[in-house]
Formats: sequence, C-alpha cells, structure tokens
Amino acid sequence: MMRNRITIGIAGSGGDGVMVLGSFLQKLAAGQGYFSQMPRYYGAQIRGGGTAVKLSLDTELPTVPEDNVDIMVCFDWSRYAEFKSELVLAQDTVVLCDDTEAGQTDLPGQHLSAGFSRESRTLTGSALNKNIVALGLLTKALALSEERVRKAISDDEELTLLKDNLPAFEAGEKLAAGFPLSQFKLSPALDDSPRVIFHGNAAVARAAIRAGCRAFFGYPITPASEIMQEMQAELPRQGGVIIQAEDEIAAAGMAVGASLAGAKAMTATSGPGLDLMTETMGLASSAEIPLVIVDVQRCGTSTGAPSKSEQSDLNQAIYAAHGDTPRVVLAPYDIAGCYRLTIESFNIAEYYQTVVLLLSDQWLGQTLVAASSDFLSKDYHLKERKRPAGKDSDNYRRYQLTADFISPMAAVGDAGLVYQTTGLAHNEKGEPASNFETMQKMNEKRWQKLAPLRQLDELVTVFGEEQSSKGIITWGSSAQIVLETVRELGLQRKVKVCVPELIHPLPDKIGTFTESVERLLVIEMNYSGQLYHYLRSQICLPERTAVYARTGGRPFSRRELAESISELAG
Amino acid sequence: MTEDTKDYRSGIKPVWCPGCGDFGLLSALTRRALPNLGIPGDNVFIVSGIGCSSRIPGYINTYGFNSIHGRAVVIAQGAKLARPELTVIAIGGDGDFFSIGGGHLPHAVRRNIDITCIVVDNFVYGLTKGHISPTTPNLERGEERLLSQPFYPPLDPVLDMLSYSVATGSSFIAQGIASDVAHLGWLIEEGVKHKGFSFINVLTPCVTFNPPELFEKIKAQVSYLKEGEPVQLPASSKEKPWLHDPADINLSLKLARFPVLEKAHLGILFQGKED
Repeated sequence: MMRNRITIGIAGSGGDGVMVLGSFLQKLAAGQGYFSQMPRYYGAQIRGGGTAVKLSLDTELPTVPEDNVDIMVCFDWSRYAEFKSELVLAQDTVVLCDDTEAGQTDLPGQHLSAGFSRESRTLTGSALNKNIVALGLLTKALALSEERVRKAISDDEELTLLKDNLPAFEAGEKLAAGFPLSQFKLSPALDDSPRVIFHGNAAVARAAIRAGCRAFFGYPITPASEIMQEMQAELPRQGGVIIQAEDEIAAAGMAVGASLAGAKAMTATSGPGLDLMTETMGLASSAEIPLVIVDVQRCGTSTGAPSKSEQSDLNQAIYAAHGDTPRVVLAPYDIAGCYRLTIESFNIAEYYQTVVLLLSDQWLGQTLVAASSDFLSKDYHLKERKRPAGKDSDNYRRYQLTADFISPMAAVGDAGLVYQTTGLAHNEKGEPASNFETMQKMNEKRWQKLAPLRQLDELVTVFGEEQSSKGIITWGSSAQIVLETVRELGLQRKVKVCVPELIHPLPDKIGTFTESVERLLVIEMNYSGQLYHYLRSQICLPERTAVYARTGGRPFSRRELAESISELAG
Repeated sequence: MTEDTKDYRSGIKPVWCPGCGDFGLLSALTRRALPNLGIPGDNVFIVSGIGCSSRIPGYINTYGFNSIHGRAVVIAQGAKLARPELTVIAIGGDGDFFSIGGGHLPHAVRRNIDITCIVVDNFVYGLTKGHISPTTPNLERGEERLLSQPFYPPLDPVLDMLSYSVATGSSFIAQGIASDVAHLGWLIEEGVKHKGFSFINVLTPCVTFNPPELFEKIKAQVSYLKEGEPVQLPASSKEKPWLHDPADINLSLKLARFPVLEKAHLGILFQGKED
C-alpha cells in the first residue's frame, strides 16, 4: 500500500548536514509535485550544537508535519534529546541511527544501524558525505521517481553538491534494500507539476519587491535576517537601495526618510528590534508617512528565545508608542499569505499614509514550504499614494482635511510643492500648532482615515459551515495546525474557524463571527492571551468563551489542540 | 535683501529668544549658503531633530522635517539614498547629535553619504530650560562661572565630538561660529558642495541659559584657519605652529583637540576623500 503523507525527522550536530539533507530531499520531492513543510529547530549556538528538521511530504497539500515522525534519521543520538518534543517517536517509527552511534546505550529500542558514515568513508575516506548517503536511502524508501531524481540532479544548479557526490547517493540507494522500509512508499503526487520552495521570509522579500519597494533598511536579528539577506541579493538589481543600519532605530528612521522622498520603504525585524522602532512608528503615524515594518516574532520576553516561535508581539503591534497612535496590523498564516499580505501592507501604507505592521513569526518565516506557485503568478493590484494635482506651493496643504481624511502627499523633491512637516502637533499646512481644536481634528483625521479597512472582509477567512454555533478564532501560523486538527477530528461541520489576517483596526467580520456562535474558543501561542484580550476590549464575546493560550518555544501539536477543540465541539 | 534671498525664508516667525545664536545659522543658510549655491527650494530637504535649533526647518522655504530627538541624521540618509538629486541637510543641537543621537554619527561618517550635518553647539539643553549637555564645560577644569545657572554642574568630562569626527575620518569637517554669518555661510556652501558626508560644528551662544561670559570667552580667542598659513595655538601649547593642511588628518586632529575655551579653530579642519 502506498501512502499519501509521510513525516521524516532528521537530527544531528551542526556540521552533520541535517539542513542539506532535509532541503535536498524536499527539493527532489517538490520536483515531482509533492507538497511539504519543513520547520527548522535549532538552539542559540553559533556553531555546533544540535540542529533538526521535520519534513512532511504530502501528495495533496502542504500540511503541517504530524506530531509523530514515521522515519527518524539521526546522526548524533545525544542531540536528539533536545528535539524530542518536536520529533516525537511512535511505536512504529523507524529510527535510522548512523553506524558511528553503535554501542551507545541509550538508543531507542526500535533503532536500526544504517551505515551512512561507513559508506561515505569507503567512497571518499571521510564521513562528510553521510547525509548524501542518507538522502539516497530516503529517496529510494519513499519511491521517488528515479528517472526524475536523476534529471533533477543533472539539471538543477542548486543540486551541484549532489551531482558531485553521486556515488554516495547511489550507495545510499543500495542501502535501502537492507531495511524494512516498504511501508513508506509514497503515492505519486496528484498533480506532478513542480512546486516552488519558499520560506516566509523569502516570500516577504520577493513580495515587497513586487509591490514596488525600492528602499530597505535592516539590522541583523533572528529570525528575521533572511528578509534583509534576500533584499541584499535582489534589491540593487531592481535599482533599489539597501543599508544594514547601525541599529533598528536607524533602520526605521532611514525608511521614513526614503518614504518622505517618495520611495516605497520597508524594514524588517523581530520583537527586540520592534521595541527600538517604536518612536519611529509614532513619528510616521503622526506625520502620515507610509511605512511597512515586518516583525518576525520570536519567543519573548526581552531577549527570550530568538530561534523559537511565539505570537507574543500582538500587544506591542497594536498598542506600542505613546499618545494616540493609529496603525494597521496584518498577520499572514501561510506562505501564500506572507506574499499576498506583504503586497497588501504596501497598498495600505501607501494609500492610507500610515504605519503597517506585518506580524509573521519564526515558524512562518523559517519553515521551508513546497507549495503551488499560484501565489507568485497571480495578479495583484497595486495601490499608490494620492499625489497633489497642481504645483502651487502657496496653497498646498500637506494635511488638508478631505472627505476621506486622506490628504494628497507630495514627495520631498517634487517641483513646486514645498512643505514642512513635523512630529509636533501640526495644522493642515504641516506647521506646528498645539491648539486643542487642531489637535482634536488631526487625531480624528488620522484615526478615521483607517475606518474603511474594517470592511475588508477578504482579510478575514471563515472556514466551515455558516450555521455552526461553535467557533474558533485563531491567527498567524497557529491557524494552520488548528485547521488541520479540526479536519482530522472530522469536526468541520460542527466547528467553524475564523482566521483574521487584518487584526487592527478590528474588521467588522470578526464581530459578525463572534455574534454567530454560542461557544467560542480563542487559540494563540502566547502566555497571556493577547488576541483574546484585544477582542474583549473591542467587541462582546459569547458568555461561553474559552482560551487556549500558552508560551511558545514548542509548536502546537495536533494532540494538544484536539483536547480543547473536542471539548468545544461538545 | 534681494528678491532671491527672500525666497528662502518662510513666513513663520522663529520662537527663539532675542539674541539667540540660531538666528545666525538661519541667516547663514537663507541669506548666504542657499542663495549662493542657487539650489531651488524644492530641491533642498532640511531635517532636524528636537531642540531649539531643530525648529529651523519651519523658517526656511525648502522641504523640511522637524523630526524626533537624535534621528535627523538617519532620516536624512534615507531621503538622500532614495532621491540622490536632493540636497539634504541635517540640523540639530549638541544634545541631539552628540548625546541621544551620538550613536548614529560615526556610521553616517563611514557611509560617506552626500549629506551635510550641521550641529548647533550651544553647550546646553535650551528647550528643556538649561540642563547640561555633552559639551557643557566641566567643573573640574575650573570653569564654574561659565556653567548654566539653575542646575548643578556636570561631573562628566566634555564629549569632544569634533575630535571624534576627525578621528572617524568624516570626509569634510569644519567649525563655524554663529556670530560670523558670512564665514558660516561659506562653510555651509563648501560642505554642501563637498561630495560626501560633511560635518559642521557651529559654536552658538545661548543667551538665556548660559552666562554671557561663556560665549564671550570663546569668541575672544577664536582663530580662522587658512590653508597654507600658520595655525594659531593656545598659550598652553608648547608646539611650534604649523602650516594648515586640511588634507592631513593628524594635524587636523591636533587642531580639533584644543578645548574650545582655549582656542577654537574656525574653518575647514579636514577635507578627505569625496564619495
């Protein structure tokens, strides 16, 4: 019997080639149409330490990996313990330990000793190619099309390393016959056209360029740095500018300067960096300067756990900055959303002349996903700033009060439209003005211009049956596993799930959803239930509302969510 | 005032105290540097931080941004990168550029992006009403009578950002004085013309929070630098005067290191490579 889904764990020490093995396998499978997700688990070490990936291959959808792994490849069993809650072994998990592990006393009962290092040494004199040997074994075990694997190896530049070490790969293929792996054969993908492989950080960077971003300023921070790296590689080719700033204050400040001069500008960071950008958010909100900030959330508080995922920057995104500081908060929940919502972030920032925070997280940002390329080839409508019609500097009012509260914005350097602006309370001309009436009007302007966003129904997705009286609200990467758990429990008809991608200002559609249910469950990955409290502050929730919220650092498992979801379903 | 020079002043009346040195900078910009350079107002962007002098963009008829404390120089860099044809000038006080924004300055220097940074150094936080700044004279040097009146004197030594900027190799480093508008205007012109990061320190009186003796003492012993001519050294120096060479960073550093209360050198201290 062939399977439609398989979950493979790979663990080892830094230098064992865990990432290379995982991503090559993902790539070869994606070339044959298989969908997949491959989250990365790693610690705070600079080099060495443990590293692990979990790869789920699926014939139909890019599903979140199962809790349990079917095959566990381990190059260093002493490292496995660091990841035992992410890579859970079941009774029937086949554990393939490297031959170098033979003699270790704590190996699991069902382990098999596979000669990854031995084969590598026989061929090359060193154990360096053991991951390539393992790759050969796995492609055979999964019954990937041999012909297409060979073609990929010969054609794909990113697989050069594999091409150069083909004997090790072939040795691995031969090894496969010696192990009881026949139950792991995958059915061919339903549609065998090649998948694209992206992590959320790359999707954000690509989408930013697609949206017309031509100025990026960043500062290295885990787990957001890949956005800056992608921009570094691509933006200069597009005629854009990129600077690695001296800190996040400078990064955000430079983006504001570039935006004033007419460029679509962005910065990307994680929680600690967002702390530093807070004053600039206030400035951009007050002076109505379009600015996109991406926050790839990691575990807080303070330095927290930089390489692990959490959804705990929501309060900061919604409320940070002194004074009444309007802004927009968006949160994608899958790879296509990372791309689409980055474009949406620019559209909103530019059109409404405000700050947009895009809340990604470590899971979304760094999990490599093999997905359909539809989101790349789709048409996206781009919105631009309103520009002044004339060139009459004497009468130009930068903050003119209009019917929709949006004032035409000249770019600094535009001929004939000289104006001065400031973070001080200001009047329609942009001149400092701190009288009560002006300040009240300007607050109203900055808040009310965002009101139409509440009607953007397309940024709130409701899954399930409209008449269900039981509902879940969840957001960000947690939504993926919630949706899968509901489906696997067979509760799609009983429990509907609301996933808002626009969180602030609160979309009306969320209120409609909460009014339509008798029982509500809010699921999110932070200790204090930030979304739940935000919702409570804005709308009435059903009397029977429960919250499943806990610290991040460990992905939600299906098993753990099943309990509260079944309880909700009653 | 000719019709041209009038164009660079906006209609807004400055909030500064009568006699404030900031008027000198305003004149140097609007009556000298900008008209002489002949750059149209809509091609100039003046970014400031927070402080008395940072109110200046509102008084000048160019694009302007009175932004937030310490960040003028980063906003200026972003704007210049996005629109290189702009003439971008960052203006702020000693608190703005040397204290809260001090971390940005060396990085602006090393990037050598073509902007002009003007520090209005009045040795005090005027807008908050007389607090000490990184350039407030230090008590240990026996300068008690030169301190601002209402607050306790600083225990920290003066932060000498002029020497620091020379040391980091800013490609154009100059010092002017607010009381000599013609000379200051010329320095700003040269700074704007210089292709690269230009840093101009402007010695400025605060008539409200500093005793008049402070600026009088500075003014009494300033010396104007001229390329190829002997430099004047303070009485305490035992060195033989050398001929001023703004291309020699080591000689420039020596000039910058003399305390302003002993000898403030006005002119172009150092001019390095252009961008």
